[in-house]
Amino acid sequence: MKTRIDSVEDITRSFAEQGYICNDQIALAIYLAAQLHKPVLVEGPPGVGKTELAKAAAAFLEAPLIRLQCYEGLDESRALYEWKYGKQLLYTQLLRDKLGGMLADTDSLEASMARLGDLGEAFYSDTFLEPRPLLQALRSDEPAVLLIDEIDKADQEFEAFLLELLSDFQISIPEMGTVTARHQPLVLLTSNDQRELSDALKRRCLHLYIPYPEAAHEAAIVAARVPELEAELREQLVAFIQYLREQEMKKLPAISETLDWARALVLLHADSLEQDMVADTLNLVLKTEQDVTLARELLPAWLRKFGKR
Amino acid sequence: MLSRRLSEFVQALRGAGLRISPDEAAIAMQAVALVGYEPRQQFHDALSVSLLKDEQQRTAFEETFQRYFEGQGERRDASAGEGAEPVKGMPDALSAATEESGELAPGLEALLAASAEQLQQRMAEAAAAMDFTQMQVITQQGLYTRRLLMNMGMGAVDERILQLSEGGVTSEARADDLREWRGQVREQAASLVRRQFLLHGAARGRELREQTMRQVSFRDLREFREVKTLVRKMARRLASAHQRRLKIAKRGQLDARRTLGRSIRHDGVPATLVWRRRPPHKSRVMVICDVSSSVSEAARFLLQFLYALNDVLPRVRSFAFASRFDEISEDFQRYSPDVAVARVLDRLSGSGTDYGEMLEGFLGLCEGQLDRHTTVIILGDARNNYLPERAELLGQVRRRVKQIWWLNPESRNQWNSGDAVMASYLPHCRVARRCANLNDLERVVDGLLGSLRAE
Repeated sequence: MKTRIDSVEDITRSFAEQGYICNDQIALAIYLAAQLHKPVLVEGPPGVGKTELAKAAAAFLEAPLIRLQCYEGLDESRALYEWKYGKQLLYTQLLRDKLGGMLADTDSLEASMARLGDLGEAFYSDTFLEPRPLLQALRSDEPAVLLIDEIDKADQEFEAFLLELLSDFQISIPEMGTVTARHQPLVLLTSNDQRELSDALKRRCLHLYIPYPEAAHEAAIVAARVPELEAELREQLVAFIQYLREQEMKKLPAISETLDWARALVLLHADSLEQDMVADTLNLVLKTEQDVTLARELLPAWLRKFGKR
Repeated sequence: MLSRRLSEFVQALRGAGLRISPDEAAIAMQAVALVGYEPRQQFHDALSVSLLKDEQQRTAFEETFQRYFEGQGERRDASAGEGAEPVKGMPDALSAATEESGELAPGLEALLAASAEQLQQRMAEAAAAMDFTQMQVITQQGLYTRRLLMNMGMGAVDERILQLSEGGVTSEARADDLREWRGQVREQAASLVRRQFLLHGAARGRELREQTMRQVSFRDLREFREVKTLVRKMARRLASAHQRRLKIAKRGQLDARRTLGRSIRHDGVPATLVWRRRPPHKSRVMVICDVSSSVSEAARFLLQFLYALNDVLPRVRSFAFASRFDEISEDFQRYSPDVAVARVLDRLSGSGTDYGEMLEGFLGLCEGQLDRHTTVIILGDARNNYLPERAELLGQVRRRVKQIWWLNPESRNQWNSGDAVMASYLPHCRVARRCANLNDLERVVDGLLGSLRAE
């Protein structure tokens, strides 16, 4: 992992080279997070590139990306560590005779117990420990980027459990004691605002809100990601998407959908937005039937007004 | 210097309603130390990243930032000045004329000779020496303005005016000029103080108002515009305090019996482990509210509170009665709490409550649905208009449910005065509390959630 970050511009440049076009605020947040060793909570509507940000940050810092996807019912055994119960069971079964032999020459219960006690820890050692993402991040040999994705989908109790990790970068495992991070990871949490996160969690994090991008910014993103698309069509496409976002849609189109559409247009060899073609490909941008119908109704008027100058 | 400005800024943000812990303020300082004060956009972003944790408060943050870091500077901008023109220095002719009369106090001389910039500088210095953070209410502005003027040395001007007005006609004219000038300076000082009040006083004021809102009785609460926000805030706090504990542990204790049972098919090897699970609690709450004129305000807030707690109390059924008894759950499912309350009051409110009839109606409507997971809450003053109280019906309810809570908006010594008959209902209630203001209500609901969890 890179230990020195010269400036915020450094980050912006590196991100741009990877095709992740970001504004200054995003770059600044990553800069501060790396310098102050604070986790960042990234919020924003779905599809604006929250997860991509973590990937770009990992590439920039030349650090491995460890990802934990949250869901309802996620618990410690999935997030932190688990004992490989199957392996433990198999070993005890295979070693049954061996154990019997070992204990054969003891004459009292106490002696057997003492002998068992000597090797008792063996079944709770590293061999049987299955590290999950959080533990991986703490025990990683080089500093890592830890992405805790969609934290709002996890239960509140899991959120509370994360607090120790986020503030002290350590975690307690009853059988092994406290595990402290060898290198402090850069932690990014993302949330789609499905539920209110606790104040305690927010307090420990820097907070970054990524809104839908402005037209110029979005055009730059499309240019970076789908360079094959002609500039004129790009402007048109972005203008139309921006227009859609102002409408009463059930689900607003995000950047990822803009990119999908741009790629489709390249495949179709389109050179300007035309009514039929747009109507046919609208379902790449809008994900509910209701929205598609609405957009189809709005389309002719929009084309007349802005489509051809 | 910068750190003092920053901590003042943090305080101003708190005044604007943002919750900022000392920890976060410290992070903001570190962040600013890293990126510096310029360029302004980066400075702004650093503060926003470390202090603004809720996107809904973005406008409050931006406004405060504007006021704090853009408004002050070399010149005040239009919004900061609020109509007060920058005061010019004392006109030359005048200062010359005053000098003629000789022996001016040295402080006064400097003040009168000052240019507009110097004057402003002086005012800023005087203001910097004062502590505006103690300002709490709007009426304190006059006091602070006076203090600011004194600190600037304007006391000498007052004396001079007094001195001149005792002189002849010419000096009277000069005194008038001085008075006018003094008026301008005072106005400018007042606008500076007003801005400081907006920054700091508003914070204190909000806390003060919240405290008042919590303590004032429900009947007077209507006067406060922000009460809705406060109720929501209180409900959210309670919800998050109880939510975690209401969740069921997903794993923890090994269910030895079932694990062994399953191991039989693997020749006694426990290949699958079974964890003990507690079934999710099924507590159900039924609220019966007296909505006659004497109690309706309390009912309004209790219902708002309970429905704001929807996350932790999903199964609330509500009933209301005054002259008639009816279920009102549907109003709350269909409309927002405000609208629902208004509709219910419209439909059912009136005078002449009959608690006996209410109990009969309640039993008739849902006796079959009462079970040991049900908590019944009755909100009312138990003023029965000398009608039969029929407490045995409440006993019948109690035998079927987990518990009965009685909330009475009157204080305990009123519970049996006049036509109030709390005494006959009390033996059937597990809890009976006074519930006359938001503080009471919060305590009651906190206790209620606690008792539901204990199930």
